[in-house]
Amino acid sequence: MKLRDSILAALLAALLLSVMPWLLSDFGLSLTLTCLMYAGLAVSWAMFCGATNYLSLATAAFFGMGAYVTAWGAAGLPYGMAVLLGGLAAAAFAGLVGCAVLHLRGAYFAVITFGLGELVRHAITYYEKAYEGTVGRIIAEPPDSVTIYHTVLLLAALAVVTALLVRSSRLGLALRGIGADEERAQTLGVNARRVKILAFALSAFFAGALGAAMAVRWTYIDPPTVFNPFIGFQTVLIAMVGGAHTIIGPIASSVLFSLLTEFLRLQFPYLFLILLGLMLILLVLYLPGGLASLIERGRVGERWRWRKSDA
Amino acid sequence: MPEALLSAQGVTVRFGGLLAVDRVDLEVHRGELVGVIGPNGAGKTTFFHALSGVLAPGAGRIMVAGDDLTGKPPHAYAVHGVARTFQTPRVFREMPVLDNVRFGLEFAGRTRRHAHDAFEDPRAILEFLGLAGAAAVPAGGLTPSKQRLLEIGMALGARPRVLLLDEVAAGLTHAELDLTAQLIRRVRDELGLAVIWIEHAVRVLMDHVERVAVLHQGAKIADGDPRKVAKDPAVIEAYLGEEATA
Repeated sequence: MKLRDSILAALLAALLLSVMPWLLSDFGLSLTLTCLMYAGLAVSWAMFCGATNYLSLATAAFFGMGAYVTAWGAAGLPYGMAVLLGGLAAAAFAGLVGCAVLHLRGAYFAVITFGLGELVRHAITYYEKAYEGTVGRIIAEPPDSVTIYHTVLLLAALAVVTALLVRSSRLGLALRGIGADEERAQTLGVNARRVKILAFALSAFFAGALGAAMAVRWTYIDPPTVFNPFIGFQTVLIAMVGGAHTIIGPIASSVLFSLLTEFLRLQFPYLFLILLGLMLILLVLYLPGGLASLIERGRVGERWRWRKSDA
Repeated sequence: MPEALLSAQGVTVRFGGLLAVDRVDLEVHRGELVGVIGPNGAGKTTFFHALSGVLAPGAGRIMVAGDDLTGKPPHAYAVHGVARTFQTPRVFREMPVLDNVRFGLEFAGRTRRHAHDAFEDPRAILEFLGLAGAAAVPAGGLTPSKQRLLEIGMALGARPRVLLLDEVAAGLTHAELDLTAQLIRRVRDELGLAVIWIEHAVRVLMDHVERVAVLHQGAKIADGDPRKVAKDPAVIEAYLGEEATA
């Protein structure tokens, strides 16, 4: 599909989804909201990690930072402003730590980005206890659910459009070159350091903004809730199961995941995590290229496959 | 003589206790084709790593077209017009062949123009290398010798002023070899490049370059006309004696 057609398709889908609050039940809307949140997180994660073969577990850190911007600003900051600031704070943080850790690869990078989440969580816990005398915060007047839904929908749509634009730009080409062979890309003129920091910060923006947007859903916010590593793992899983080298893959897989999780939880309340785990193992074993590889079969030459071997 | 396009001054690279490149000086001018030979382990490839910014030299200076690039990252060398190939082809395997050539054009070559309009189009570069038929194939699907050619194509895509070729002839048949050598001379002539060509097999180079430098245990022991260098007693002792049967 041409870039313009893809963007139009994304915007059309967003338009259709925007009327859901008046069509769906509360339960349906909340499920759609979860889908959208994970779609935004997974697509923005794959924007950087899918192309470069980096495995970042920092999503929870960015998400939590965004949530705390909302929590701290709840008294005076308008909701939309909090979301923007949450994204910017996460992007700035990603740019800063990116300078220090983006030369690492593979397991080292994964471990250090996971550690980042813990670092930020403990820093905030300490700050809250020592200076504010509190362990959590209450969001007194959350915006109504339709506003939240539309905000998250907008962010998810923005993430998809940004990912489409990045993929077809020089930035995307540079990222794929870095993923394939970083040194070779450098000898052909790619400023790898700058490209990686920029893309890492860009992808963090969406995680931060989504954290800020979703924070108001929990009326009570404390560090263990918003820095929940599960959010980070789930994002990575969704993106990889979908096919992190694509954009449609993570979207499809976030829908599948959210529905499947909900269905299994309702049908098999005691077994659902076991069943989910089993399905994941099967998917990884038999569909290493992700769901997207089902669509792509037979078009080998045109794609950029996600390669685990040299991550 | 005009200013050198690439000038290495006392370049030294040390790995722990091993002196891999020992105070090597080398100047290359526009339109020159210089061969660098040396026995295995002489430091040829390490010297190239230094010349392309892949390794920072421990001592010495590297000037590209008058700019001091010592210690700068590889992309700075590429942007200044130094393009290289790798001994073991490092093409982007999953990328179509054409995009491999386009890659350099989008980055290192973006702000420069080739001396020759024929090379503005990545397809023309593929045509020139005889790879036009494979433009849409993923580069990993090419035979090793075609991947070597594509390596040259990727470097040409970066619109270089200096071309560093690392054993592009290794593993080629005689016919392929002659073709590659002709190709390299044509690039040099048509684009007015400065070319440094490393080869382990001496005979190949001696026939095709106008000047040759010899590295031995990291140091340069000779530099000049191939026929004269071949008669240099130090070179014969260090290298040709051992390779005479090759």
